[in-house]
Amino acid sequence: MNNTRSPLIFNVLAECTTTKARTAQMILPHGKVDTPVFMPVGTQGTMKGLLSEQMENLGLQIILANTYHLGTKPGVEILEKAGGLHQFMNWNRALLTDSGGFQMVSLLKLAEITEEGVKFQTLNDHKSEIVLTPEHSIEIQNAIGADIIMQLDDVVKTTSPDEARITEAMYRTTRWLDRCLKAHKKPDEQNIFPIVQGTLNAELRTKSAKAHMERDVRGFAIGGLSGGESKDDFWKMVHLSTDILPKNKPRYLMGVGFAVDLVVCCALGVDMFDCVFPTRTARFGCALVMTGQLNLKQKKYKKDFSPIDEDCDCSTCKTYTRAYLHHIVTIHSTACHLLSTHNLAFQVRLMKNIQDSITNGNFPEFVIKFMSDLYPNKNYPSWIIDSLAAVNIKL
Amino acid sequence: MKFSVNNTVKCGPRLGLLKEIEKHPNMSLETPMAMLYTRGGSIPHITNEVFKLVSHESQIIQIPLVSTYNFEDAMNDFQGDIADFVGMKECISCVTVQDPADYTQPGHHFQNCIPLWTRQGKVLINAKLYMNSIEAFKPDMYYLLSDSDTNIASSVKRTSNAVSNTISYFKECMERHEKSKVLKNSFVMGTIAGGYCFKSRKDCIDAVCSNDIVGGYLIDGLHNNGPEVELQKAEELKPIVKYVIEKLPQEKLRAIHGCWNPVTVLELVQLGIDLFDTSYCYILTERSCALTFSLDVEDKNDQYELNLRQQQYADDFQPILSGCTCLTCSKYSRGYIHHLVTVQELLGPLLLTIHNVHHYLKFFEKIRECIRNGTLSQLQEKITSQFNAYQEIITKKQTLVNVSKLKENNKDSDVSNQTPRTDNSSITEEDATEDSDAFDNDIIKETQNDTRTTVMETINKTEVKSIS
Repeated sequence: MNNTRSPLIFNVLAECTTTKARTAQMILPHGKVDTPVFMPVGTQGTMKGLLSEQMENLGLQIILANTYHLGTKPGVEILEKAGGLHQFMNWNRALLTDSGGFQMVSLLKLAEITEEGVKFQTLNDHKSEIVLTPEHSIEIQNAIGADIIMQLDDVVKTTSPDEARITEAMYRTTRWLDRCLKAHKKPDEQNIFPIVQGTLNAELRTKSAKAHMERDVRGFAIGGLSGGESKDDFWKMVHLSTDILPKNKPRYLMGVGFAVDLVVCCALGVDMFDCVFPTRTARFGCALVMTGQLNLKQKKYKKDFSPIDEDCDCSTCKTYTRAYLHHIVTIHSTACHLLSTHNLAFQVRLMKNIQDSITNGNFPEFVIKFMSDLYPNKNYPSWIIDSLAAVNIKL
Repeated sequence: MKFSVNNTVKCGPRLGLLKEIEKHPNMSLETPMAMLYTRGGSIPHITNEVFKLVSHESQIIQIPLVSTYNFEDAMNDFQGDIADFVGMKECISCVTVQDPADYTQPGHHFQNCIPLWTRQGKVLINAKLYMNSIEAFKPDMYYLLSDSDTNIASSVKRTSNAVSNTISYFKECMERHEKSKVLKNSFVMGTIAGGYCFKSRKDCIDAVCSNDIVGGYLIDGLHNNGPEVELQKAEELKPIVKYVIEKLPQEKLRAIHGCWNPVTVLELVQLGIDLFDTSYCYILTERSCALTFSLDVEDKNDQYELNLRQQQYADDFQPILSGCTCLTCSKYSRGYIHHLVTVQELLGPLLLTIHNVHHYLKFFEKIRECIRNGTLSQLQEKITSQFNAYQEIITKKQTLVNVSKLKENNKDSDVSNQTPRTDNSSITEEDATEDSDAFDNDIIKETQNDTRTTVMETINKTEVKSIS
């Protein structure tokens, strides 16, 4: 890797004059990424049954993998021997890994968070206790070798009422950031993103963002949202965060992937998103379309010989009918692959449309059209009206 | 569609050609060959996009009615044939009754009907219902309905009943076929039933082989399908298959179906069988194995197959088979596939299928080349010795496993060195458990089907279920 060049260059190409939306090119060690970008989640070093050739065909430029899973299997030793995850999984474009902290809290019973790290009991074998420290998280992420890696953060449920705990978590997240930065062995090849915490408390979130901005980092994540809080609370925190974070660095909103949320949050100035939703819903037989989603299990598709979406040029829509998909969804694994392919093509197309409209200077018009397609009766939820009004779009 | 064959010897290896296919006039297919096995109309794990990435030659897809029966209603209104409907219009379609990779439960006959064990439950079909489906599917090729519920242990009464049922289906189906406009261009294959009883087979052949419209014959009723067929001994089959072949018209296509191992395939090719299927690749993939047997008698490699679940492949970054030109071997390693199969990711069986089908089709290419050169026996010798050596290792391991199982009777510990323990903690994420939700039935079925998985694997899979 070239040591003289920064492992992340962020060139803003166009900014919306009405909203906070912008489109940029992010240059990473494993390639260019056009933003705003949706990053699909390939948890265990694979994108739910898609070959890397297919992911490239879809136009994916960056995907996410989960540190906790990869650290468990195949583990650091194998990943290092393989020469990192890119080589291991035959994916030559950009990768991002999370810190593993979120899985600890969300999946494992009896997780206990101390200043040292996240202590948890493994579910397998002998119920031994393991502590995931910031140093350990970075060690695994260094072995995986993703272009962008995440600091370990202290996650509190967004709906938690415990102010003392939220405050502690916010400050601890910054302390852990410093430990992560110190433990990072490949600063010339991998970028650590700090995570802005503070749940729904505006004051704490401001403090968190400002503290992280003092560190030498090349991008920021907005964390601790999309965890069951109301949409009214959600957008306000995103809006607040993007107001504070510097304009010349990418902003990554974690765990967001519904089309409507993507459109709103792009307007609020977010550049990167990730979510398991498109591939997960595919496995349940749901296909994404501009007007919402189709549950192909429903009887009405049994003799529907049209493609999922006439306007989609993905390989699934070019070859398969809703009727055939109806007969195989949730039964045969090929149906998962077919719907995952379509749903990812849908996300890519949506983001491309957003990028193009920002470039062409008609992003506000795009947003208005998108919302009226989705809500033909104009019964817009209030959080959408309010959030867009905050960036000067009137529905 | 026309079939022609080069060999005039009654019972011996032969080269043939399928051509003048109405839908694909420029296509011709050489035999002996294997049709691509599908379930629910798809090659397991392979979408059309992936199929196009890996296949550049003409293929026949084998479509068992048992896994596509519920398509009929939609197909009646669909403008197109079954290959179009399942998104494989590049291929020739061939409809069969039962699924060669799934065990067909014996019995449950009812008057003039045979049971189809579909996902939606048992469906009794007779000649009329069968032909309704065939007319709706409009396949390029199809087998006539038969009573194939016989095996080496069947009683004389059962085999003679199977034959009389098959004869009556034959008559009724052919009557319908001859009148049918939509099936005018379909290549129809008669079925010879009768288990391992010479007399029954003769009765069936006598009744069925007088019709000129029939383009070929399926020698049916040799087994009840499913993974057990892999280990059925060729010696058991040979006398009856030879007997039937000698009585069949020479110029017609001869098919046999089932997941035969390559050694048995070679024996059957030696007798003059033209058409097989790739269900063997499917059952192999389901137990996470990859074919590596030699396609070249000079080859130094002596490993018949690899079980990618084994721990030894965790840090093995070679391709499955060096020199193999399939997409899997050119881009992905044993170590990666080991990872995928141990964490039960969908890409694992996909990559294995690509390799296994590729290797199996290469095997048939080699067979044709050897028939041409008169070197089939050398190939047979080489593959047989690899296969036997591998079986010996497997048997030894299994004996060891059985002994230690007895010793550790009531313990839940892993005793198998053949299937290393999978780490369940990696499957606890919601994301992964959803997979097991959606495919619960398949997973359980696969476990039952898997003749070589050990108790441990079953336990692992159950644990996954209980977590979800």
